[in-house]
Amino acid sequence: MTAPVARIVTTRMPSAPEPIRLFYVNNVFRYSQSYLKREREFCQAGVELVGCNTPEADAEILALLISSLKQVGLQDVRIDLGHASLLKDLMNAAGLDEQQKVSVQSLLACRDAVGLKKFMEQNSFPSNLRDAFLQLSRCRKLDEVSSISLNGSKYDRVNKQLESLMELQETLADYRIDEIVFFDFSLTKKIEYYTGMVFEASVPNLGLPLGGGGRYDNFIEKFGKLKLPATGFALEIGKLLQALTAQGFELPEATETKVIVASTFREAAVEAVKALREAGVIASLEVTRRSLEKTLEYGKFTETDYVVFVGSSVESPVTVYDIKSNISRNVMLKTFLGELGGQA
Amino acid sequence: MNSKKIRIAIPNKGRLKEPSLEALARAGIEVLEEDRAYVSRTSDPRFEAIFARANDIPVYVHYGAVDLGITGHDLILERGADVLELLDLEFGNCTLVVAVPEDSQIESVSDVPALARVATGFPNITRSFFENCGKQVEVLEVSGTAELAPKLGLAQIIVDITSTGETLRQNKLRIIGSILESTSRLACNKIAYRTFEKQITELLARMRGGTE
Repeated sequence: MTAPVARIVTTRMPSAPEPIRLFYVNNVFRYSQSYLKREREFCQAGVELVGCNTPEADAEILALLISSLKQVGLQDVRIDLGHASLLKDLMNAAGLDEQQKVSVQSLLACRDAVGLKKFMEQNSFPSNLRDAFLQLSRCRKLDEVSSISLNGSKYDRVNKQLESLMELQETLADYRIDEIVFFDFSLTKKIEYYTGMVFEASVPNLGLPLGGGGRYDNFIEKFGKLKLPATGFALEIGKLLQALTAQGFELPEATETKVIVASTFREAAVEAVKALREAGVIASLEVTRRSLEKTLEYGKFTETDYVVFVGSSVESPVTVYDIKSNISRNVMLKTFLGELGGQA
Repeated sequence: MNSKKIRIAIPNKGRLKEPSLEALARAGIEVLEEDRAYVSRTSDPRFEAIFARANDIPVYVHYGAVDLGITGHDLILERGADVLELLDLEFGNCTLVVAVPEDSQIESVSDVPALARVATGFPNITRSFFENCGKQVEVLEVSGTAELAPKLGLAQIIVDITSTGETLRQNKLRIIGSILESTSRLACNKIAYRTFEKQITELLARMRGGTE
């Protein structure tokens, strides 16, 4: 939903005070030829923090992501975080052409350390740059990244990115979430779109990420005149449910009471159904003219709670069949409604 | 989460099963196969194994139903599985080729007529190969024995894997192009790699040591 949100921000909110914090829970649509990739329509929940590019803003997004997942009930949540502009600036400093950049990204994404080393040797990377790439691919904690720095003015941008990663790490420590945020230099997807951190959320029980996000400072301006930095994340609701199930979470069942009204006296039956619906009960009228036995059977198969058999008038007692327990009793409709009111 | 065992899927038959078991044994993992159990213990208490069809292993690994799997690179591509191929195990070598009957008028892929029928057990790879060649073909998916298709009049062209070339020769088929080379790979689920990075890196080192 990032694109529609960007459009709304630039076209409908030009004078909103910054930073702007937005969230959404919406169906999104994707096309993929591969049937193993995502579905074509799925529900996404996400946030966008627009108008601010600071480590505090980045940390807030990460902290919000983690607390959302914990709130949902997930255990062992972890975030893996890479950095698009660090990678881009490193590749530029190495003077790589487009083809070489694609190769490096691919080797990183495949976690092919051996292939990466070979590639860098074959392409005469200076040794300090080779070391930087290899060290970065081995780093798993953000504070390990601080041990890396490159000398020389052509690495100014790279060193700036490394500094901002350090600041991010310090802010995460203030939120006490630095223990579950890991550095992963192989996160190189969509680096044309991201301009800073890129991250994914996962739990060990599910083989696919729950969602992810990052910083994309050059995106919103594509939709209008405003140039606005932004950062955010999106989660796939379907994946959250799968992860919860895999962790043994039992999803609560619906608790609304369902009633079927049957009768040989239509007027009384319709009155009874109306009364039940007004009381907030899910009630349906038996419209098939079949026997009570068949209605009770139908009730069992449709997980109905009660079948109410009404006589010629709702002023007389009705027979209430409790489908689960198979017990039936005679009671005034008003009394029965009162009992349900207590449960509803 | 460290009480959970790392699960490896191994091809359950054919030319891939034995070399897979050997590769793991050289890395110190002996699979203690049990007839009735669907999950087998191994000599390393951190790992367990299941036997599955090589064709399904990419899907198992993609979804994390297993953490690791040994299967062909051709199958990983065909199933479109988004997995890490951590190691080329260097067995199960084969080539995915385009072949026609010996007496066919078609000499090369560029001769392939529009709307020609191509029978194959690799419809996805076949479709994208011909698209990239700018050829519009009708792809017929058959499971195995694609080499019979021209005889039956089902298709003029087949795309199939070949290792010795024997099956193609026996069926009087001629290769007009090759699509990819394939070997068996150790595939890994991307999330599992993070959960078990230490154990997996260690396993890789032992497996590499074995194949050198």
